[in-house]
Amino acid sequence: MQTALLLLLAVPLAAAAVVALLGAGRPRAVRRLSLLASVVCLLLAVVVAAGFTQAPPAEDGARTFHPRLAVQWNLLQLGPSPSAMVQFYVGVDGLNLALVVLTALLVFCGVLVSWKSVTERDNEFFAWLLALETGMIGVFLAFDIILFYVFFELTLIPLFFLIGIWGGPQRQYAARKFFIFTLAGSLITLLGVIGVVLAVANDPYAPPPAAAQNADEANELTFSIPRLVELVHGHTAPLPDDVEKKQKAFDKVKNADFPNEKAAAETQLKRAQERLDFWRTVEFWVFAALMVGFAVKVPLVPVHTWLPLAHTEAPTAGSVLLAGVLLKIGAYGFLRLCVPLAPDASLAFGRPLIGVLAVIGVIYGSFCALAQEDIKKLVAYSSVAHLGFCMLGVFALNEVGLSGGLLQMINHGLSTGALFLLVGMLYERYHTRKAADYGGMAARLKLLALFMVFITLSSIGLPGLNGFVGETLAMFGMYSTESDPNRFPGWLLTGLASAGVVLGAWYMLTLLRRVFFGEPKEPAHEGHGPVRDLDARELTALVPVAALCLALGVWPQPFFDAARPDLKVVARIADGARDRADAERRLAAPPEAPQAAAAPGGRPQ
Amino acid sequence: VKPLDEALIGFFPQLLPEAVLVVAACAFFLGGTWRARRRLWGIAALVALALAGVALAYTAAGVRSVEALKQEISEPPRKDPNISPAGQQVLDERRKHDEAALPAMVYASPVLHSRLSVLFAWIAIAGGAVLVLLSWNDVPDEYAAEYHACLLLVTAGVCLTGMANDLITLFLALELVSIPTYILLYLPRSDPRAQESAMKYFLLSIFSSALLLFGFSYLYGAAGTTNIPAIVDALSGPAGAEPGAAGLALVALVLVTAGLGFKLAAAPFHFYAPDVYQGTTTSAAALLAFAPKVAAVAALIRLLGYAPGFAGGRVLGLDLGGQTPRLLWILAAVTMSLGNVLALLQDNLKRLFAYSSVAHAGYMLVGLAVAPKLGDAAAAGGVDAVLFYLVAYGAMTVGAFAVIGWLSTPARPVETVDDLAGLSGSRPAAALVMALFLFSLIGMPLTAGFWGKLQLFFGTMSTGPDPAHAALLKPEDLARQTADAWFFRALGLILAVNAAVGAWYYLRIAAVMYLRTPLQLLERTRPWPAMAAVWACALVTLGVGLFPWPLSQAVKKATHGPPAAAAPGPPRAAAATGGPAP
Repeated sequence: MQTALLLLLAVPLAAAAVVALLGAGRPRAVRRLSLLASVVCLLLAVVVAAGFTQAPPAEDGARTFHPRLAVQWNLLQLGPSPSAMVQFYVGVDGLNLALVVLTALLVFCGVLVSWKSVTERDNEFFAWLLALETGMIGVFLAFDIILFYVFFELTLIPLFFLIGIWGGPQRQYAARKFFIFTLAGSLITLLGVIGVVLAVANDPYAPPPAAAQNADEANELTFSIPRLVELVHGHTAPLPDDVEKKQKAFDKVKNADFPNEKAAAETQLKRAQERLDFWRTVEFWVFAALMVGFAVKVPLVPVHTWLPLAHTEAPTAGSVLLAGVLLKIGAYGFLRLCVPLAPDASLAFGRPLIGVLAVIGVIYGSFCALAQEDIKKLVAYSSVAHLGFCMLGVFALNEVGLSGGLLQMINHGLSTGALFLLVGMLYERYHTRKAADYGGMAARLKLLALFMVFITLSSIGLPGLNGFVGETLAMFGMYSTESDPNRFPGWLLTGLASAGVVLGAWYMLTLLRRVFFGEPKEPAHEGHGPVRDLDARELTALVPVAALCLALGVWPQPFFDAARPDLKVVARIADGARDRADAERRLAAPPEAPQAAAAPGGRPQ
Repeated sequence: VKPLDEALIGFFPQLLPEAVLVVAACAFFLGGTWRARRRLWGIAALVALALAGVALAYTAAGVRSVEALKQEISEPPRKDPNISPAGQQVLDERRKHDEAALPAMVYASPVLHSRLSVLFAWIAIAGGAVLVLLSWNDVPDEYAAEYHACLLLVTAGVCLTGMANDLITLFLALELVSIPTYILLYLPRSDPRAQESAMKYFLLSIFSSALLLFGFSYLYGAAGTTNIPAIVDALSGPAGAEPGAAGLALVALVLVTAGLGFKLAAAPFHFYAPDVYQGTTTSAAALLAFAPKVAAVAALIRLLGYAPGFAGGRVLGLDLGGQTPRLLWILAAVTMSLGNVLALLQDNLKRLFAYSSVAHAGYMLVGLAVAPKLGDAAAAGGVDAVLFYLVAYGAMTVGAFAVIGWLSTPARPVETVDDLAGLSGSRPAAALVMALFLFSLIGMPLTAGFWGKLQLFFGTMSTGPDPAHAALLKPEDLARQTADAWFFRALGLILAVNAAVGAWYYLRIAAVMYLRTPLQLLERTRPWPAMAAVWACALVTLGVGLFPWPLSQAVKKATHGPPAAAAPGPPRAAAATGGPAP
């Protein structure tokens, strides 16, 4: 099974190299080989998913991720101790399994949909597409933080060329803008990554290894994500309790006549407080730095401007993968790194900030989509809105919200991926993307219209289809944060976001009506050959995606079963941050109000 | 022979590679009157460099380096019952001699043979070989001998800078880099533009040498010696904290940094770079982007005391009350920002890469700025990161120039970014390696540039108080050091923003090569030497990108020196008392 995991990374890369070397003169061989590689990859992903085993029950209550089928190879030592090793460390767990399957599926669709539409430099196109697959699967599988970054960056190069060479009229500008936005964000993310690694390695307040109660409290330089999560917990979890303990000790001797003991207790208290402040500062900056790169990738509202341009200019396969997988990398980064490595900052700053940005994204993205004439641009803006729901779920920071967020990632990948496939198929037939050029296409292209209606319904969250489950859970999660002791106004954000559901239905159904129903109007298509309905190749690309949409809507349980243990880990980490926030609030409460300090810090279960 | 005499006389075997290069250069100057053929002298230069490489391998293995000496005397004395009393006496005497030889070597010898100097010599000789290949077709036949002789002298100068242990040697070594460079700029082209650029470089270089020398005089005034480790010990010890000495040292620091900043092309001493690079041949521009920078980095590492201190413990550089890191912080921030922003505006490839080399000088200064703040632990990211970056920078920048040289023909020179349009269609291999160099310059993974930048980032983020001693620190000291660390982390942020800005103009070239159709087809020429230079650089860029381990190990061994545990007491005090009376 480990071999299957490694093959998932190696097969597309090897196929990319072979395809690139085949040369431009062999269109059939290039296409067949690419298709073969993508099918093999999809099968491998399915095999890995089918053989995915749950974490053993003994690990219930775990506070870190447990990659299954893990492979660890040493790459580069960056410090004196042997643990300071950058590793090739990959594995699967509940968080990345579904995303890997999604990636393999969408690449398969991408190869099929590019079969005829790409004619120029086709070997390069398919080579970059397959190289991109390795990069994307690598990001999801990586459990070493530097390896994660390496794959994260490596996805940029293939997409740069895919957009820049085979894109629309503004392709060069779009490709460079996409690259620079993501690179600028990810470099700051890299700073955050290094920051968190060094924070747990060089914590000046940590007890020396001999005096540490457990290994997680002592300093250690490591790049393994699961270990880092443990270390962050070990370094930060005891702090508020420690301050409280020292405060009590100080209060005891405060009024007594033991100057030495008093001074000692005061010094200890001060040091404990300093340590707490130090970690709050560190976590804030780690969170801020990690957030920048992932926020660009998601994208959250002020840094989303690269998205409509890149999605619109990219070739169909590029748009499908951009929307279907690349945006998920941002959301996945929040889930895998940002929340577990800076839990307190995620709770204190992340939830209000990202919650508000996500709601702005939902509403602003929807209105922008409503105003678009270009069908592809409309779908692109709808991504901004849908990812808003996804982030709303993730930053609810409870199990319901997290599972909604994760499901919403898959949903958006399926439905928006399929929408881009359909728009690409329409474009291939008529070479125009303006909604005004079309009308009543349902009569002309029956199957295409059927799929379009189905996917639209999935995208706007019709009950019984996947979008409904994800959006509902994400909003449930956010809504239930209201019972948090700090009275986070989740209901307000949820209320505003639910307006986005209505807007989503509005713009999608408007699009459907204008293009597929109403007055028949067919754009001029002379010179592009006779227009036919979907053929077998296109159906092969669409049917699995549509089937998954239905399956996840009707019976999402297998998905949740696989993801639950690891989602629980993230939720548990967030709960720990809630407890600490309570403790800090008790500390900050004025001493003359003891009843406030005694208030129970219950949290929703 | 007394240890001191041995240190003063016995260093000649250590200079074998340099001697080979200089003798070869002299032979070339004479031989140039006999035959004027570029192929002959090119091959001869490669042979000379290969011989220098052999000599270096011999010196590295056969001549006792300061590390080896230190290692020998740190082991307990040998007491073997099987050895006769006379034999034991010989052994004891030899040991006593060795113990006296170490301070003599460090504090008296004009050159110091250490792992660091060997590493610099390898960098110089490898770079020299690539530059010989690259300039093969740029040189007119009649000047080939002189040109390659000057190239060998520059290489010897860089090697010598890496091992200079004395202000006088250091200055001579730097001049050995500069003076042949003037000739190199002048020889291959005689049009007014080339002359202007050679003249510009000449005047500014003289000026910078004067500044450097002026700074050296202050250093001598402050420390009373020209021996570099002694100066570092004196100025970083308690004597350096006296107001008089500290003031002198600060003036010296500013002057020395200015003088070397010219060679490094650090802002605001970078003005010459774009004009000179544009005016001269591609190969000479590649040389300017590489050799003076290596020399300047080597000189800075020595002068700022970042090289391992062998007599005492590990001396963490001339801190001068925190002024050195602060000065270098400002220099680094200004240099990289200015270089990147100005490179955005360029259309001429050589001007663009000139500004790019300014920006990369700024990145290397980041490592030098944070080096004294990294604590005593073998933390990565300081001088070792700079050396790693230097190798990566050399490979990718010389490689980019080499691609330009490879594609240029006299009839159709590659001058502007647009000249590369559609290169992926017309010359796919050239476009591919150029893309490799560009992505490495951006710092994308799987290239040498990525690991270099990663280590620099690592350095800026590691500047906090040393956790091993943190419990012993006073709370206010701890708070101050923690605050200080944020100052250097901000430099990491500036570096990140700059790397992203830099990506814009590198990507522009990549976009032009891959996304556009050619304006005019390039001639299909196959100058094999330039091609060999390109592939050598590509091999290093990709090889280090995929397997960073060997280079990072070599760099660590060269910069971290012997373990500090061997030195008794606080390292700085030991070093200050260990120095000889000047």
